[in-house]
Amino acid sequence: MSAQPLATSLIVLPVILAIISAFSYNKALRYAVVYSTFILLTLISAWLLTYGPFTLTYPPSADLLVTILDFLLLFYFLYIGFIRKHVLVILLTLLQIAPLAYFEAIAHEIHVSPTIIVDYLSITMCLIICVIGSLICVYALSYMEEHEEHLHLKKTRQPRFFFYMILFLGAMNGVVLSNNVYWLYFFWEVTTLCCYQLIRHDETEQAEKNALLALWMGLIGGVAFVVAMFVGLLELNTLAIFDILRAHPSIFSALFLALLSLAAFTKSAQVPFHSWLLGAMIAPTPVSALLHSSTMVKAGVYLILRIAPGLRLLTPLSYAVASVGALSFLTTSILAISQRESKRILAYSTIGNLGLIILCAGINTPLTLLAAMLLLVFHAMSKGLLFLGAGIVENRVLTRNIEDWEGLLMKYPLTTTIMLIGMAMMFLPPFGMLLGKWLAIEAVASSPISAAISFVIILVIGGAATTLFWSKWMAHMLCHPPTLKQLKVEKLPIPYIVSTFSITALDIIFSALAAIIVAALALPALKPWYSIGLSLPLLNILLSVGSFVTWPLMAALALVLIIAWAIAKSKKGIVAPPYLCGEHIEQDPYSFTTTADKPIRFDVANIFFDKSLGEPRLNKIITAIGVLLLILVFSAVV
Amino acid sequence: MIQALVSSIVLIILAPFIGGLLCGIDRKLTARMQNRIGPPILQPFYDVLKLWGKQPMISSSLQPVLASSYFLFSVVALALLVFRQDLLLAIFTMALADVSLVLGSFSARSPYSYIGGRRELLQILSYEPILILTAVGFYLLIKSFVIENLFKAGITPIAYLPGFFLALLLVLPIEARKSPFDISASHHAHQEIVRGVFTEFSGFNLALIELGHWVKLIFFLSILALFFTPNLILGSFIAFIAFFASMLIDNIFARLTWKSMLKITWSVGLALILVNIALLLHLGV
Repeated sequence: MSAQPLATSLIVLPVILAIISAFSYNKALRYAVVYSTFILLTLISAWLLTYGPFTLTYPPSADLLVTILDFLLLFYFLYIGFIRKHVLVILLTLLQIAPLAYFEAIAHEIHVSPTIIVDYLSITMCLIICVIGSLICVYALSYMEEHEEHLHLKKTRQPRFFFYMILFLGAMNGVVLSNNVYWLYFFWEVTTLCCYQLIRHDETEQAEKNALLALWMGLIGGVAFVVAMFVGLLELNTLAIFDILRAHPSIFSALFLALLSLAAFTKSAQVPFHSWLLGAMIAPTPVSALLHSSTMVKAGVYLILRIAPGLRLLTPLSYAVASVGALSFLTTSILAISQRESKRILAYSTIGNLGLIILCAGINTPLTLLAAMLLLVFHAMSKGLLFLGAGIVENRVLTRNIEDWEGLLMKYPLTTTIMLIGMAMMFLPPFGMLLGKWLAIEAVASSPISAAISFVIILVIGGAATTLFWSKWMAHMLCHPPTLKQLKVEKLPIPYIVSTFSITALDIIFSALAAIIVAALALPALKPWYSIGLSLPLLNILLSVGSFVTWPLMAALALVLIIAWAIAKSKKGIVAPPYLCGEHIEQDPYSFTTTADKPIRFDVANIFFDKSLGEPRLNKIITAIGVLLLILVFSAVV
Repeated sequence: MIQALVSSIVLIILAPFIGGLLCGIDRKLTARMQNRIGPPILQPFYDVLKLWGKQPMISSSLQPVLASSYFLFSVVALALLVFRQDLLLAIFTMALADVSLVLGSFSARSPYSYIGGRRELLQILSYEPILILTAVGFYLLIKSFVIENLFKAGITPIAYLPGFFLALLLVLPIEARKSPFDISASHHAHQEIVRGVFTEFSGFNLALIELGHWVKLIFFLSILALFFTPNLILGSFIAFIAFFASMLIDNIFARLTWKSMLKITWSVGLALILVNIALLLHLGV
């Protein structure tokens, strides 16, 4: 019986807190609400973890409530479509309202028992949403103050901002807990609403435009859900996801799963829907961290992981889904090389990593699913952290152009160190993301499908591009003239410290204890459907095809730091200017003199290949291939 | 068991010495080819010893940590290989060492080391996919990424993976920092990039980088030798021959641009690997 308050509080509590924050014009009250959101949600999600899996059935009156709220929401979308005069939004909303009204008219029962199924996949997602998500809300407290200071607003818009941020947490919990597709669809649409409102938060022309782009692309997912519900109700006689997953595969269950995959692609910004996520980067950075990297875009990935056991019975469809992920991973990893804007690099990398997770889920062997789970957890932490760092930097240097971030380590050592750790954790051993990528390569290589090797080659090429764009960005932040001065650590507001330090610590601890994530979350999540043969000797990871020795690598890393510290202590060197093939100028480390004693200024610049990669041209081609792959997904149904 | 452990540890400790010796022989032979007398074979060791005691000229305070990271992770990568662990993980660990070097070279605001770092990244981009695909090639053969299982399987990989071996030979000059691919740093300090990635390292830090380079060379040659398991002596012999052949090529060829390097390694290297994979799948191995 105690399951009911638990599940209900995960959804309803954020809604209540959101409503309170909508009226929090007072700074102290706002801080109190957001900090209590963080503390309460962390505690509840910890309770959920210890409570373990359960199912719960709400009475039909709750279904009625969801139905009513859903129609209200759809009419609100319609209203937005009309006042913004956006045909696609109107059309896509009508395409949902009309069928749903018909649905009600023929008086179909949407009640499903149980309404909520909690397994370890939902628990993993809830932990990410409640802990990482609410830490990002804490971060936003300081960020939005600085942000509004730069904008010189007369009246603060923060209450509205925090309303949607915290409401979003509740909606996201709803998405990952629901077994009823109608409920899932409703919460899904609420996240679309939050996404729209938060992207347009600054109310500039460009922000409104990009928000509408995100909205209509998100609504495609909604339409896919509505059609899927028709298929479910009329042909499969149920709206319960778990029942459909267990059902004997048929052309209709395949269609149902393909439609859900389409919705997932829109939410996770997979090619050809990737443009909305890049546009969404115009939003304040906490939004990018919360919605567009660590949680909302994960809803799509979550959905694919959720239906993976069903897809496994329909291999052509599953591989078609994998190929959409593969295309997204490959192309965005390459495009990220050409980007100069910090948040666009992070966005491309996010799409790429989501693609990687979808690729793994689509290949659909026990090991690839394990890789997908690890990537899901570690990406939420590392990429969330990177957005937080990027936001702090942006509010200080007032530019997103990473070429202007040269030598940032000297100016903002603390923030830059956080960014550097986040980046290292994205692609270097022995950290979590690399563990995931390592596992992905080994798992895909050892999968039985005949095209496995082409997927491996995509992983390898995309991975090489990833190494390039992260390293060159890290390197540029280190570049500085020699100096004797002690670094002055910048002061950061407490919410920044709380959020970034916690996530960094979590990421490092769980990279070292990745075996615990495997044993406590990933394996239990997969156990009902997949049997995985692996062992965790001394918290290292041993597969039948390979082994990842986390601890020796962690020890080596510690040793490097100790030795480096000892060297720095014992070997006092002389500070010397770099070699410049000319004479140095004392006061100006950026120039030197050569013939005729004329000072010559020199610059260092990074590599981008933006001309040869040609983002706009390449994007058209990628979108075209993406559309073809979507057709492939649906042709795989038959 | 204990004997194996001891010999593995001895091998890891010896690795930099073998690497240094190879470089010494290399310098001597190169000199002879150019009608010079050349330095003594032990010259690389004298150089490193001298650097070891020198006071470093620090142009970036991050160099100690990044130089020692380069050296230590090269050793860790080699250790993973010697202890017959996961080949893919060993290659990723070596990538960590490489990235440390790149970060070290970028960290000083010098045009020469900066351009060296940029080019070093492109070199990584050139050979990394081939190395990782080699690990996958071994997997295709023995259904495991763990080197121990290669020994257990009793298969000689070169018979099945010649394309992979040739692709590795193609990128050997990059690893050995030799023409035509010595574009990020050159042994000869008269190029337009001065010493490239190494320009700003000095004293003890440079000694660490040099040691790391030797270990890395042995790492790469060991992978070549693995193709001849179980006959590792033959494998090592062929790996050494390959190294000296690359020296010969070094003296014949001029440096290419980074564009040609990327084109050659990605087209020829990947083509060799793909043809090999296609044959493997066709033969059903």
